Amino acid sequence: MSPAPAPTDNDKKTMTLSHHLSDALIVDYASGSMGRAQSLVVATHLHACAACRGRVAQAEAVGGALLEEIASTPLAPDALDRALARIERPREAAAPEAAAGHARQPADWISVPVEVAEAAARRRWVAPGVWVAPVDVGSGDGALTYLLRVGQGMRMPQHTHAGCELTLVLKGAFDDAGVRFGPGDISEADDAVEHSPVIAAGQECVCLVACDNRLIVKDWLGRVVQAYAGI
Amino acid sequence: MGGVSEVMTQTRADDPAALIVAVATRGDRDAFALLFEHFAPRVKSYMLRLGAPPETAEELAQECLLTVWRKATLFDPARAGASTWIFAIARNLRIDAVRRQRRPRFEDDPTDEPAPEPPADAIAFAAERDVRLREAMRELPPDQAEVIRRSFFQDKAHSEIARELSLPLGTVKSRLRLALARLRGLVGDLA
Ligand SMILES: [Zn+2]
Repeated sequence: MSPAPAPTDNDKKTMTLSHHLSDALIVDYASGSMGRAQSLVVATHLHACAACRGRVAQAEAVGGALLEEIASTPLAPDALDRALARIERPREAAAPEAAAGHARQPADWISVPVEVAEAAARRRWVAPGVWVAPVDVGSGDGALTYLLRVGQGMRMPQHTHAGCELTLVLKGAFDDAGVRFGPGDISEADDAVEHSPVIAAGQECVCLVACDNRLIVKDWLGRVVQAYAGI
Repeated sequence: MGGVSEVMTQTRADDPAALIVAVATRGDRDAFALLFEHFAPRVKSYMLRLGAPPETAEELAQECLLTVWRKATLFDPARAGASTWIFAIARNLRIDAVRRQRRPRFEDDPTDEPAPEPPADAIAFAAERDVRLREAMRELPPDQAEVIRRSFFQDKAHSEIARELSLPLGTVKSRLRLALARLRGLVGDLA
């Protein structure tokens, strides 16, 4: 669980988030050393959370300071002239590229990346009340990212947390050892504790999950989910 | 490129944030040249440290500074110092080059909006903040500084760094936490 200080969330979306990124995740993300599966989940939390965006900005400032103190390596003698030649042309507009996907953002989820919205079309029911949809992040490092839907009142599939597992609530809520995780909240599995979160009453819960495919899965539902979570 | 000395009178050459603003507002090529001379060799080192072959490191350093030119209007000195902003550009170029981390697109992206005209004191404040941060990093306990450096200059997540240093993961995490807590007070709220 994140030990982050209680943030003042001044996000336009006025979402009240309780569970944030740990400092370790903030640094991995800001330094660019995070794997693709995890970083998709982290980016989705950041999109909803101004407080954690600020913490990433602070960690980037550390990166900036390190860039200042690093020793210089000379470039080719004509490097500056080449660069200046390339900026002779009119400045390219910094227009954002058109979003490729036309998959619609589900109205009752927190804002998700285009590829996550697209992945929802690949959902497969794997047990009563449970569907899984793999998200293709092209990680190639044995990490999985997937959408997981679990019906209200049900138990979440169980893992033993051998690899770092991140769970981000997109819709609904679950309770883990008496702690509520709602939309936008992120849960970082710790090394020792075995969790068995329960979906809160009232509505289904949809989560975006990143985990190591080599996780040892404890229960039958977890094994079924893992089997269908790969692209 | 004869104009470099003239620009010194208009824009302080040792203030990279002001140079980026000069590029953004006037398309100032001399300011760009000064930025290039300061940052391109550092970005090249950064790429080399992270394992890029020399030609790739050179090319990425070029590309980084060209991105500075193209995106100068997006630079907001009240939010990030010049070196921080350029670090983020370099990091993103590297991420794209090694297909590592992912920067997904959202239909609504709050970071794509151009920066408003910065007040002059905001630029001075950001520059001063960066200087204080660099000083504070030199004063970090060595074990904390080591974990921070490895985090940024090796392509490794904290779990791998823990293995490398033969430390428990929890120790690496707490060193990161302590270092960031110390530095956070200096850079303030950047949200
Ligand atoms: Zn957060």
